[in-house]
Amino acid sequence: MNNEETIVQMRNVCKRFGKIKALENINLQIQPNRIIGLLGANGAGKSTLLRHIIGLYLEDEGECITFGREAKKLGPEELGRIGYVHQEGELLDWMTVKQLISYVSAYYQSWNRELEEKYIKDFEISTKARVGSLSPGQRQRLAILLAIGFEPELLILDEPAAALDPLARAQFLDLLLQIIQTENRTIIISSHILSDVEKVIDHAVIMKEGHILLDCSFDELRERFCQVRISALGKELPAELPFENIIHCKRSDGQAVLTVQDCPPEKLQEQAKSLDCWIEIETLPLEDIYKIVVSSKG
Amino acid sequence: MSILTVNLKHLYQRRGLWLFYVIVVLFALAGIAMLFGDTKAGQGRFIGLIVLAFVIGLLLAVLPLEVLSKPFSYCLPGHRKMVRKFVFCVGIVFNIFGSLLFFVYPSLNMGQLVLVVCSAFCAGLISYLLGAGLAFAARNSVAFIGFLPLIIVAGGFFDLHTVLERVIIENPLVVISVGVLSSCVVWVWLGDEGRARRYCSVPWAGFDAWNPDKMKKISRIRMAGKWEKLEKYTNPRMENFFLGRMNRYDYVSAGRYIWGALYAASVVPILQWNSILSIVIMVILMSFFLGYMGPAATFMFFFLPLIAVMNIRLPVHSSMLISGGRRERFAGTIAAVAAVVIPISVVAIAMVALSMLFKAIVPEFTLREVTFIYRAVSARNLFIPLLIIPFAFVIRLIFYRKPVYTMLLLMLIMYLLIFTGIIWSKQLSAMINLISIITLLVLGWGSFLLVLHYVCMKRSLAGNG
Repeated sequence: MNNEETIVQMRNVCKRFGKIKALENINLQIQPNRIIGLLGANGAGKSTLLRHIIGLYLEDEGECITFGREAKKLGPEELGRIGYVHQEGELLDWMTVKQLISYVSAYYQSWNRELEEKYIKDFEISTKARVGSLSPGQRQRLAILLAIGFEPELLILDEPAAALDPLARAQFLDLLLQIIQTENRTIIISSHILSDVEKVIDHAVIMKEGHILLDCSFDELRERFCQVRISALGKELPAELPFENIIHCKRSDGQAVLTVQDCPPEKLQEQAKSLDCWIEIETLPLEDIYKIVVSSKG
Repeated sequence: MSILTVNLKHLYQRRGLWLFYVIVVLFALAGIAMLFGDTKAGQGRFIGLIVLAFVIGLLLAVLPLEVLSKPFSYCLPGHRKMVRKFVFCVGIVFNIFGSLLFFVYPSLNMGQLVLVVCSAFCAGLISYLLGAGLAFAARNSVAFIGFLPLIIVAGGFFDLHTVLERVIIENPLVVISVGVLSSCVVWVWLGDEGRARRYCSVPWAGFDAWNPDKMKKISRIRMAGKWEKLEKYTNPRMENFFLGRMNRYDYVSAGRYIWGALYAASVVPILQWNSILSIVIMVILMSFFLGYMGPAATFMFFFLPLIAVMNIRLPVHSSMLISGGRRERFAGTIAAVAAVVIPISVVAIAMVALSMLFKAIVPEFTLREVTFIYRAVSARNLFIPLLIIPFAFVIRLIFYRKPVYTMLLLMLIMYLLIFTGIIWSKQLSAMINLISIITLLVLGWGSFLLVLHYVCMKRSLAGNG
C-alpha cells in the first residue's frame, strides 16, 4: 500500500478519558475515493476516532497522520481540504443563514458559489431565516452545505442523521447519494443507524468499546456473511447439515434458514446438491452482519 | 472578503450588542463632555475612555470566543490566528480614538502631547487587553459588567483616576514600554493554536446570559461532569419528604401537582448543603455592606428578586408532559412562585434583622476624611420584593417566548423605579404608608393571578425554544 496516497493513517492510537479507555490500539488507514462507514453502538468510540483525524483530540499513545501531517499540527492548508459535520451541529444561532454562509465561505478559496446556490435551492433553506429558528433537519442540511460548499477532499460526517426523524433521514440519505457522486472525494460517515448507512458505503469499519473489530470493503463483508435457505424437495432435511461455519440455524418442517460465514456460494451450491435440496443464498443486511461481528468478537 | 473582515462584521451583525453600543456611545460622550469647561490637569477627567476600554475588551472578546466554541469552526482554515487579529484590531481602533482626547490636555507643549497621547494609547490598550484576557479566562465574563459600577465608585473614592492620569502624563515612556510588552505577550498568548481545541464544544454563555433556557442547558452540561460530586451532597430525606407529601394526595388531586411543583422548584438548591452555606455567607456579607450603603441599599431589594424571577422555570410552560392538566399547571405555578417568594422574603428579613444586629456592634470609621456610619436597613424595604415579584412574573408570562424582552423590560422597570425613588424620595416617603403598600400588593398579586389564569386556561402552553 502506497502511504503517500493514504489520506489518514492511525497507528496504535490510544485515548483515555480518566479511567475510560475510549480508543485502544487503533490501526486504521483510509484510502482516497472511498466511502467509509464507521459503525458501532453508542459509546463505541466512533466520534472520538473522528476527532483524532482532525486533531480535535490528541492521542495519548500512537500517532495519527492526516494528509501526510500529524493531525495535531494540521494547518489551514490541510483544514481547507476537510469538511466536518459535527454530531451536535451547533452553529451561530444569531446569524441568518445567508450571513453564516457568507462568513464560512470567506475562509475557503475554493468555495463554489454555484454549488452553494444549488444546495440552497435543493435543501429548501430560507437564507433570510435565523439559524436559531431552523428545525433540526434544516440545521443539519445547513451544516452539510457549510461542509461541502468548498468541495473538500475529505468529508467527515459524525452521526449526521442522529437527530433527524425518518422522513428527514430519508431526505438526508438522498442528499448523501448526490454528494457521493462527486469524484475525488473521501467520505467517512459514522452512524449507529446501519440500515441508512449500508445504502451508501463501500468500506466498513466496525467498532466496539474503543476497538476496531473489522475493517474491510463492504462487498467483502457481504460476501463473508450470507443467509442460506434450504428446502428439502419432498423429504426431511438431515439432522446434521454438511455446511461449514454455521453461525445460526433455524429449522422448521422441511426447511432451514442458516447464517453462514466465510463460505463461498459455489461450495454452498455443491453441498446443497449433495443433499438434493433447493438452496437460496441471500445477502444479510448490515445490521445482522454487525450483530454477528460484535457478538462473535465481543 | 478577508477572514478578518467577515469576523469584524459580527460587530454590527450581532444585534445583542446594539444596546451595548448605545451605552458605550453615551458613556464616551459623557467622558468627552467632562473635558470641556474648566479642565485642570491631574483631576483624572481624561481616564474615562481608558476605563471604558476594559469594558470593550471584556465584551467584544466574547465574539470570537463564541465562534471558537462552535464545533463547525474548528476546521475553518485560518480561523485560529484570526482571534488575536480581531482582538487587536478592535483594541487599536478604539484606543486610537480614546487617546486622541489627550491632545487637549492642558499645560503641555506639542512634543509632550504626542508622547502623552502615545502613553494614553498604550494605557488604553493595556486596559482593553485586561478585559479581553478576562473574557478568555472566565466562562461568563459578561456578568463582570455588574461589578463595574462598584469598581468605578471604589476607584473614585480612592482617587485612582487621578493616580492613573498622573502615571500616564508623568511616566509616558514607562507606560509605553509596558504597553508594548504586554501587547507582545498577549499577541503570543492569543495565538495559541491549542485554544481552538480546548474551546471546541465547550458551552459558552456569551451574550446569552439573559436566556434562562440556554443557561440551564449550559449548567446541565457542566453538572454532568460534576454529577459524582452532586450525589455526595444530596439528601434522601428531603427527596422522601416531597415524594411523601405528593403521595398523600390522589392522582387527580391538585395537591399532588402543587407539591410536585414545589419539589421541582426547590429540591436541587435545598439538597446541596454547599449552596445553602453559600447563601448564608452571602446574606451575612450583604447585610454588613448594605448598612454602609445608605439609601443605595434599597437597590439590592430590587435586584435579588429579579434574578430569582429570571432563573426559575415556571411549570406553566414546562415541556415535560405529566398527567396534570391546565388547572393543575395553574396550581403548580402558584406553588413554584411561592417557592421563590418565601426564600426571597426570608433572605430579605434576614438581611434587615442582621443589619439591626450589626448596628449595635459595628463601629463607625473614617476613611480619607469620609465617615462611614452603619445604618440598619429599613424594614420598609421588605415590601419591595413582594411588590416586584408579581409584576416581574407578569412580564415573564406575557413575553415567555422572548426572554430578551423580559430581561430588558425588567431592567428598565428596575432602573426607572430606582431613579424615581432617588429623585422623588421625599414625595414618595410621604405617600408610602400601609394602605398604599397593601393596595400595590393586591394590585400586583391580583394582576399576576389574573394573567396566570388567562395563560393557563386560554393560551398555548408549549415550552420555550
